[in-house]
Amino acid sequence: MKWAKDELTAFLLILPALLYVVILAFIPALESVYGSFTNIHSNFTLYNYSFVLNLYGYSPIVNTFIVTASALGFQFLIGFVVASLLSKQFKGRTVFSAIFLLPFGVATIVTAVIFHDIFSSYGGYANTLVRAFGGSALDWTGSFSTSLLVVVLADSWKNAPIVSLILLAGMTTIPPDLYSQAMVDGAGTLRRFFHITLPNLAPFIAIALMVRGISEFNIFAIAKAGLFPSPLLTTMTYSLFDIVNPHPSYAGATILLGFIMIFAFFIMLYRDRSAKVA
Amino acid sequence: MVSEYNNPGSHKYFFIIALVFSIIVLIPMYVLVIIAFAVPSQTIAAYYPSLIPTKFTLSNLMHAFSGYSSILEAAFIKSLITATIVGALAAFLGFHASYGLSKLPVRLSSLIISVLFFSTMIPSLTIAIPISVSFLKAGLYDSALGLALAQELVVLPMTIFMITGTLQSLPKQIELQARVDGAGFFQSLYSVIFPLALPGVLAAFLLSWMMSWDEFTFAIILSPVHPTLPILIYLDSTARGNILYASAFSLIVTIPVILITMALSKFIKGNYMASGLTG
Repeated sequence: MKWAKDELTAFLLILPALLYVVILAFIPALESVYGSFTNIHSNFTLYNYSFVLNLYGYSPIVNTFIVTASALGFQFLIGFVVASLLSKQFKGRTVFSAIFLLPFGVATIVTAVIFHDIFSSYGGYANTLVRAFGGSALDWTGSFSTSLLVVVLADSWKNAPIVSLILLAGMTTIPPDLYSQAMVDGAGTLRRFFHITLPNLAPFIAIALMVRGISEFNIFAIAKAGLFPSPLLTTMTYSLFDIVNPHPSYAGATILLGFIMIFAFFIMLYRDRSAKVA
Repeated sequence: MVSEYNNPGSHKYFFIIALVFSIIVLIPMYVLVIIAFAVPSQTIAAYYPSLIPTKFTLSNLMHAFSGYSSILEAAFIKSLITATIVGALAAFLGFHASYGLSKLPVRLSSLIISVLFFSTMIPSLTIAIPISVSFLKAGLYDSALGLALAQELVVLPMTIFMITGTLQSLPKQIELQARVDGAGFFQSLYSVIFPLALPGVLAAFLLSWMMSWDEFTFAIILSPVHPTLPILIYLDSTARGNILYASAFSLIVTIPVILITMALSKFIKGNYMASGLTG
């Protein structure tokens, strides 16, 4: 009887945090969805969506997907290299891992300011480098492809450390015997990576994809600070935002929420499938 | 450790690769420092600026601070108050919730963890826009408290996962012993568990503090009139085109955060970030 009472007390201890999340996250999210289908007089309408689509077309959706996929690809490439490196023992390893972690703490807007300085079309360090190789100065944020490169580099500089850390945590769970056994059987570095590292890391890859993928869909400060002038779902929603009539921005916010939910669903599916295989 | 066959010769290559990577990682921070301290004619006013400036000055920072001291001071204080509320609330709610979770049956606790995790998937923008309307009615719009209440959402689930990790590492015997010796539920919670979990709670406080200090999306929507430091930097770099001031302010924002990151490097581990999904 005494333990049952303790369980009730335990539940009461969680309740404030739980209510907090319900009141400040779930209810506002539902308000956004509801608001996107109503007008200022609370009548049902699809006008908000047609307004947004007429104004922006599908390019914010397409751009958001391109940025998310490019940034995830690049961060996983860096993440795998850095995690493999840090899983080895060598001189200065702890100092290097501290250095690799530093950008994690730098504010997103500060990252944007720094990369804006580096990739500025006038007085940018990137153009100094381009000239050193004999090229002529580029207007980095002027075209879609170069601004995509800039936004991916800036975002990955800040966020690749998180991917590395999660993958490194996964790598430490793989028994070393698997590798020595595979080497005895004559498997090369690449085969060991694809047949041992990758399948064993699946749950950790799913987590990193989830954590980073959701943030990439939400990429906002870096784009807003001028590194990526083409419209994204976030910057579009922010431009639509008007506190007197927020209904069109609710439509933008709901589209964003919808894509993230679909993305999360597929990651969960991948995680469950890989868990069954492993 | 993933120990492939370790031949001593390969250590040299690991070291060299790590060194090259470190330099690439450090260059953007180095650029921020030289823009703040070198004469503008060698940095932002040069068409092809060099990475190694020769003339240094303090006048960039002095101009940025004196030209604008009242706005900067107000933004600094607002950021400081907001981040401290976020950190304190996260430590308080997070510690109690984590302890509660550790005492519940696994099925119930994993359900609650899923709910918390699910909340982290909702975009800040989707939450911020309806909240701004409600805050306007409630008088919380543009206030440090209102902003802190919203930013808390970003950090609370992570805080709970982090402190749960710390609590799991504590030996069960200590608490049982305290209960056998006659300590009540709350007495054992505050006088036995809390001191032992303090490093984890402190780490959660600092990490939450840092995330609030850096936060942008809620801040720009919920507090645009009296901005926090990140919004002030954004306004200077983009709206006013004042790169020199923005860089100087960026340096102020970055210094405390770098110190916290170094202090926390032991706690910022993949496992904590992962704990939400692996249970």
